[in-house]
Amino acid sequence: MLEARSLVKEFGQLRATDDVSVRLGDTENEMVFIVGPNGAGKSTLVNLLTGRLEPDEGAVILHEETAEGTVERDITDMRPDKRVKEGLVRSFQIVHVFEEMTVRENIRTAALSNHGLMRSVWSLRDEHEAVEADVAALLEQFRLKDVADEKAEALPHGDRKLLDVAMSFALDPEYLLLDEPTSGVGAAEKEYVIETIVEASQEQNVTTVTIEHDMDIVKTYADRMIALVEGSVYREGDPNLLETDKDLRRVLLGVSDDE
Amino acid sequence: MAVAAADLLLQSVTDPSGWVIHTLNGLFRGFILFMIASGLTIIFGVLGILNLAHGEFYALGALLFVSLASYLTGLVVAPTDPASLLLFGVLVLVAILVAAAVLIPVSAVIETVLVRKIYDRDEVYQLLLTFGLLLVLIDLMKISWGPGTHRPDAVGGESLNQVVDVIPMEEWFGFSYSSYAIFSIFAGAVVFLALLWFFDRTKTGRIVRATAINREMATAIGVSSDRVFTLVFAMGGFFAGLAGAIHSGSAIAASADMGGDALVLSFVVIVVGGLGSIRGAFVGAILVGVLSRWMTWQQPALELAAPFALMVVVLLVRPEGLYGTWGEIE
Amino acid sequence: MSTSDQDDGKRRIRLFKGLYLTPLQLVLAVAGILALFLVPEIEGVSTRLSLTTIHQGILWGMAAVGLNLLLRHTELVSFGHAAFFGAGAYGGAIVVNFLGVDAGLVVLFGGVTLALFFSLLIGWLVAEYRDIYFALLTLAFGQVLFAIALGWGTLGQDEGLFLRAGGSFTGDPPTLFALELGLRQYRILLYYLTIVLLVASLLVMWRLINSPFGNALDAIGQDRTRARFIGIPVKRYVWAAFVVSGVYGGIAGALYGMRRLQVTPEGTLEVFRSGEILFMAILGGFQTLLGPVIGGIVLRWLLENARFVTEHFELLTGLVLIFVVFFMPQGILGSLPKIAAGTRKRARNPGMVGGDLSTLGTMFADAARDAARTIKILLFGVK
Repeated sequence: MLEARSLVKEFGQLRATDDVSVRLGDTENEMVFIVGPNGAGKSTLVNLLTGRLEPDEGAVILHEETAEGTVERDITDMRPDKRVKEGLVRSFQIVHVFEEMTVRENIRTAALSNHGLMRSVWSLRDEHEAVEADVAALLEQFRLKDVADEKAEALPHGDRKLLDVAMSFALDPEYLLLDEPTSGVGAAEKEYVIETIVEASQEQNVTTVTIEHDMDIVKTYADRMIALVEGSVYREGDPNLLETDKDLRRVLLGVSDDE
Repeated sequence: MAVAAADLLLQSVTDPSGWVIHTLNGLFRGFILFMIASGLTIIFGVLGILNLAHGEFYALGALLFVSLASYLTGLVVAPTDPASLLLFGVLVLVAILVAAAVLIPVSAVIETVLVRKIYDRDEVYQLLLTFGLLLVLIDLMKISWGPGTHRPDAVGGESLNQVVDVIPMEEWFGFSYSSYAIFSIFAGAVVFLALLWFFDRTKTGRIVRATAINREMATAIGVSSDRVFTLVFAMGGFFAGLAGAIHSGSAIAASADMGGDALVLSFVVIVVGGLGSIRGAFVGAILVGVLSRWMTWQQPALELAAPFALMVVVLLVRPEGLYGTWGEIE
Repeated sequence: MSTSDQDDGKRRIRLFKGLYLTPLQLVLAVAGILALFLVPEIEGVSTRLSLTTIHQGILWGMAAVGLNLLLRHTELVSFGHAAFFGAGAYGGAIVVNFLGVDAGLVVLFGGVTLALFFSLLIGWLVAEYRDIYFALLTLAFGQVLFAIALGWGTLGQDEGLFLRAGGSFTGDPPTLFALELGLRQYRILLYYLTIVLLVASLLVMWRLINSPFGNALDAIGQDRTRARFIGIPVKRYVWAAFVVSGVYGGIAGALYGMRRLQVTPEGTLEVFRSGEILFMAILGGFQTLLGPVIGGIVLRWLLENARFVTEHFELLTGLVLIFVVFFMPQGILGSLPKIAAGTRKRARNPGMVGGDLSTLGTMFADAARDAARTIKILLFGVK
């Protein structure tokens, strides 16, 4: 289980994250969605959990099952690349892929890292069979096979988003944090992107934490929902709250049911 | 090191004039450096280009001044009374200003014809183009003025800076020092204040700053970024030329090769001060100038290395520079 | 060697695992190495073809190969690579002058060690910077070494040091493989040693850039954030690449010192040398492995021969540089396919040359008009 413990992050006067405590992955391959209005601190929370930002206060804790029971590990000061090795993987709201590499090379780069082969200086990058098998499987799973030898910069936006997520899965994540994987994706493709993510998460037994603005998607796929408002947890629990909780609806959607 | 420091302290207590003279030398050098580095840092801040040929603008200003000052002061006889001395001073000032002013069209044309074409290219090409310009300018200056060093013609057996030694330093302060250098320090301070005023208070200055922060936004509100870029580049050229002109009026000779060292020291200055910051360039230049002159005085072997040592220390302690915002931007 | 058929049906010859060449490429490679070996034999044919020039060109080119690891893969512009070239040269000189050893391989080892030391130190300090900041810092650190060599009496200041027995102007050159050789024999054997090291270092570089580590460097160059978040320890990898790159410069510099038998701050450490190394990589074609070597030989040759024609060879270099930036950004090797295709087209249709000339004419006319407009605005204002 991944835990945020009383995280605080300030940017000048602004408290982007104000004493946030959440637990992620309490249950087997949990599907968590983070919702909230713009500026609620959703991305900041993901950045704090994955080590892109350092918190001013609070801690990030990994709970690990061992023979002696559950052990807590404080990873607040751990470098991002080390966290990846611990199974903590993320994607970005603005697509970050290696633009001048082909789709295959992009996924291969992540897979090589996952297999601990990056420091090999005397093998060829494309000769590792286990890596190539992973790459082929992911190309298949994310339906990127047809564009495998296209450069990333030449792909349509939807495929770029998928590539970004596929690279994350190549890292064999335990916790996958996705910052708006459907932003900028057309309505028709949106469902397809989310379906692919859900499928892959189930298959690989991953706890997935997704920032999402589309409430229909949240209601359909979420096991649990966390609503952030002004840097704090406003509501947490069943996604049905989106239907039933009037205050939450007002904050998120700007609509009031009374009228 | 400790012994040297103790010696220095002792000496400064017993004989403050060495201390003062070398600090003044450092200020003089610092202000010259500031005038070069301010242009470099503004050009970088606004255009995003590190102009390796910037030191050659300084060298060109120095050589132009040598020719102009020799010609102008050749028109009058050696000054004997206050009135003729004043005329002489005005002529020197005119030579300085004209030499610097020539740099405006020179740098503006370089910007429009060459530099403008590579704003969107990888920085390696920007560096190579300005490096190529540097080589071309050095050789053109060598062809025009000849290799070796050049000084303004002596007037009545005295060098130019000796002629303008009008402040009775010995009498007033108990040590001799070049009045020309004192004037230069004042000129440098004026340039600094003028630049601050320009960027903080004038409309054009604000437009330039807006362009530096967001090129597209500035274009969207109707600012011609082309014109701003030319203005900034020409401004940088002018101040570098001014620095060269003032410098070669002092005891230091001008040469076509003088731009390289100035360029590299200016880098140190803007790294120490923070890239793109005028206040940073000012503080950095004074630090580098004074430090290197103290070193010349106390530890001549370390003079060349001292500014770089300062730079390394600043980088380790404050990687973005004293006033800067740069560094590892994730 | 064995042959294999690749996807495109062309026959390729396998040199070793992963390195396949077409017959034409193989012939060219063998011919190229043979030609390099023959240089001492045929240098008498023309005064333009001097062993000294080609030897020095290869050495600078080798440093440029090292620099190119950073430039092409991590996309970092080093403007201070002369630091490692100079450290290699001075390291060798220090072995001769202060340890009294004149065995050539020890001298070489000394040079590489000093370059290794400085690349470890400087690399650690600059590894987290990017873009222009990286260029600026490497330039400044290069200048620190220049200032030390120029300011420190022990290192001979602007005179530098001799790599001759006893550190004197008249001493014997170092021995090579325990052979005490006359100057001419020494130089030729050193040249052959250089060729062997060049081929070896190119093969090593080839393996390196095609390895997963090379892949990681590409990733870092293209998107550092993403690289970090797929688990690459960015700073350490950049540091490692920087050190490899510096060691290449060190090997080249040590051999250069041994060749010149003297090292000076101006000849090996000055900022212009750094600029030249960078220029060589671009001139030859920095998107290729061999480009920097070609660039090294070509630029050295140009500089040497320009010296005979005009004393203003810097003007010439500068103009070549500006030409390359605007018209040949891919460098010699990188532009070959384009140039070949263009030439073939023009051979078939000579009328196109007229078009080229008019394009060129328009370009200069545009430049002149820009210049004139600028002057007009300066003199008469915007209206």
